[in-house]
Amino acid sequence: MTEIRFVTREIGSLAKPGWRVKAIAGRPVEKKDVEEAREWGWRLGIDSGELAEILRKGGSFTNEEKVKIQDFAALYGIRILEHAGLDVVYDGEQRRSEMYDHAVRHTKGFETRGTVRSFDNKYYTKAAVVEKPLVERAYDLEEFEFVRSHTDRAVKTPFTGAYTIMDWSYDEHYAKDIMLGAAAQRAEARRRFGVEVARDVVRPNVTGLVEAGAEWVQIDEPAATTRPEEVPLVVETFNATREGVDARASMHICFSDYNSLFPHIEALDDCYELQLEFSNRDSRELGTKAEDRPGYDVLERFAGSAWDGKIGLGVIDIHTNFIEPPELVRDRILYAARVLGPERIEVNTDCGLRTRTWEVSLAKLKNMVEGTRLAEEALNGS
Amino acid sequence: MGSSELVLLTIRWLARKHRAIKRRLDLPEIKSYAPGIYARSETLVQATRDLDRGRTTEAAVQDQREVDLRSFLDAQREAGLDYLSDGLLNWQDIFRPFDEAARGLEPGPLTRFLNTNTFYRAPAVTEEAPTLVEPLGEPYFRIGDLPRNRWVVTLPSPHALAEFAAGDLEPRAVAEGVLGPQIRWLAGNGCAIVVLQETALFDGGIDVYPLSDALDALQSPLPVALQLPFGDSGDVLGELVELDVEAIGVDLYATDLEALPRPFPKTLLAGVVDARNSLVEEPGDLAEFGRQLLEELEGELHFVPNGDLQFVPEKIARQKVLRLGEAARILKEER
Repeated sequence: MTEIRFVTREIGSLAKPGWRVKAIAGRPVEKKDVEEAREWGWRLGIDSGELAEILRKGGSFTNEEKVKIQDFAALYGIRILEHAGLDVVYDGEQRRSEMYDHAVRHTKGFETRGTVRSFDNKYYTKAAVVEKPLVERAYDLEEFEFVRSHTDRAVKTPFTGAYTIMDWSYDEHYAKDIMLGAAAQRAEARRRFGVEVARDVVRPNVTGLVEAGAEWVQIDEPAATTRPEEVPLVVETFNATREGVDARASMHICFSDYNSLFPHIEALDDCYELQLEFSNRDSRELGTKAEDRPGYDVLERFAGSAWDGKIGLGVIDIHTNFIEPPELVRDRILYAARVLGPERIEVNTDCGLRTRTWEVSLAKLKNMVEGTRLAEEALNGS
Repeated sequence: MGSSELVLLTIRWLARKHRAIKRRLDLPEIKSYAPGIYARSETLVQATRDLDRGRTTEAAVQDQREVDLRSFLDAQREAGLDYLSDGLLNWQDIFRPFDEAARGLEPGPLTRFLNTNTFYRAPAVTEEAPTLVEPLGEPYFRIGDLPRNRWVVTLPSPHALAEFAAGDLEPRAVAEGVLGPQIRWLAGNGCAIVVLQETALFDGGIDVYPLSDALDALQSPLPVALQLPFGDSGDVLGELVELDVEAIGVDLYATDLEALPRPFPKTLLAGVVDARNSLVEEPGDLAEFGRQLLEELEGELHFVPNGDLQFVPEKIARQKVLRLGEAARILKEER
C-alpha cells in the first residue's frame, strides 16, 4: 500500500513588513523597522546587509532602491513559507497591494471610485469598469520569475479570478443603458462582463506565466458564492480562463456557502482542486468524529458529488491569533480523510495570512505542517 | 391575553384601518428615504483605520462620526426625504448590536454576506433563549438628532437573524425576545417606520411560514416594511404580499418588473437607486419608472435604495441620496 503523504502549502498573502509598506508608500522608515528587517533576516537565513543599508536612509528611496526593497520582501515571504516546512510556496504576494486592486490596476478599462467597508474597520478600494477591460501583457511575470529563481520548492501562483474581479467592481459599462426592472438583461450583462474578464484579463496573465514555466495556477474566487444563482457563471469564467492553459489549475474559495456549489462544480473543466476554508467555522476541541468537526460537515456533500477533484483542506483559521495545536490540525485532517479518502486531501490555511503578524503566521504554519505529519503517521500506522 | 396586549392590538388595528381608508380615498402617496447602513466618509474611514493601528483615539473617531452624521442628515434634508435616517454609522454590521446586547447571543464567526462583498459576525447561539437585556438606545439610535415621528429605523428581520445565526435559533424567539421589545421602545421614541432587512429569502424552496410567524410575534405598533435588499425577490413576492406588514421592499435592479404581483396590494419600497453600483441615477429616469409603478399600486410608493448605501463610497452615496429625493419630488409635483 502506498504511503500517505499530504502536500502542504499556504493560500496566498502574508502580511507586509513595516519597512516594505513605509518605503513604498513614501513614509519614513524608522530604526525599529531596520531592526525588524535584520532580525527576520537572521531568523530566515537571509543576508540582510544590503537591505539594512538601503533602509537606513529612512526615506526618499530611488526607484532602484524600491525595487530592491520589494525583492527583499518577496524573498522574506518565500523563506518564511520554506522555514515553516511547506511543500509548495510563493512570495506571500509581497508585491501586490491587495488582490482586487492588484488586478484592476494592471487592467485597462477600470477606474478607481473610492473606499468601501468590508467588515468592521476593514476596507477596500473599489473600481468601476468603464470600458471593455483588457490586459496586454502578463503583469505578474517578473514576480513569478523571481519566486521561481529563489526556491527549489514547488511553486503555486495565485491569480484573482474573473468572477471576483467582476463582482467586486462597479459596472459603468456593461449595464449602463439597461432599464430599471429589466433584471434578465442585467444578468446577461454581468455574464458578458465576467466572461470577458476571464478571456481578456485573467487568461493573458495566466498564459504568460505558464509560458514562462508556471506549472500550477490557483484561481482565487472569494466571491464565488456571493450570488448563489450565479455559481454557474463562476464555473463558466473558470473554464474560460482555463481554456488553452497547459498547467494544473485549481480554485480557492473562502468564507462562502459551499452548499451552493452543488451541482454546478461538476461542470468545471479539469479543476485539479478546490482550496476551501473550514477551520474558521470549526470547534477548537480535539476529535475526529463528525460532531467534533462541525466546520467540516459540508465535506459529506463533496464526497457525494460527481465532481471528484481534490480538496485543499483549510485547517488554519486566518482571522485569529490562536495557534492551532498540531493535534487539532491532525484531527481535522483525519476527519476529512475518513469522509473523502486521503487521496483527495491536500492541506492549507483557510485563506491568506495577511492579517496576522509574521510571528503568528510562522507559528501557525509550522503547526500546520507538524499536524499534517501527525495525521500521516496515524494513517500510515507508524 | 393581558390588557396591555389588547390595547396594543387595538392600536395596530386602528392604525391599519386608517391607512387602508386613506389609500382608498387618496392617490397613492409618494415618499422617499434612505434606510440601511450609510457609507462612511473617507475621513472617517481613515480615522477608524488609525484607531485600529493605535494612531488615534476613540474620542477622535467619535468626533468624526458626528461630522459624518451631520453631513448625512444635511444631505437628506437637502434631498427633501420624507423620513430621515441616522445611517447606523457605528454599527459594525446589521446584527452586531443585538449579538452584543442580547442574552443568548454573542458575536460568532466571520461570515460572508450573500450579495455584497462584505462580512458579518454570525450571531452565535448560546444556551439561553435570546432576550434583549434592555432596548438599545443611544448611540445605536441617534434619537436626539432625528425629527420626532419623522425618522426611519432599519433592523434585521427576525427571520434573517435566525437564519444567519451560528446555531439553531427560531425566528419567532428572536422576534419575541429581541426585536419586538426594541421596536416597541423605538415607537415610544419618535420612530415613524421600521424597515426590516430580510436577506435570507433568496434561495430556492423558501418556506415563508417561519418569517410570517415571527412577524406576528413582533407585535409592532409601528408600520413595518420588509425589504429584500440586493437580490431577485420575484419568486417569493406572491407570498410576501400576504404577510402582515404594511410594505414590501424590492430591489428593482435584480427583480423583473414583470414579477411584481398586480395590482400590488401593499406599499412598495421600490429599490430604484442602486447601492451596489457607482453609476449615479438620473432623477428623470427614476421618475419615469415611478410613473409605471404607480399604475400598478394599491398602496403607497416609497422610493428607496435597493439596499444599504454603505456599499458605495460616501461621495457617491451622497449623490444618490440627492437624486433619490429629486426623483420623488418630480413625481410629487405631478400629483
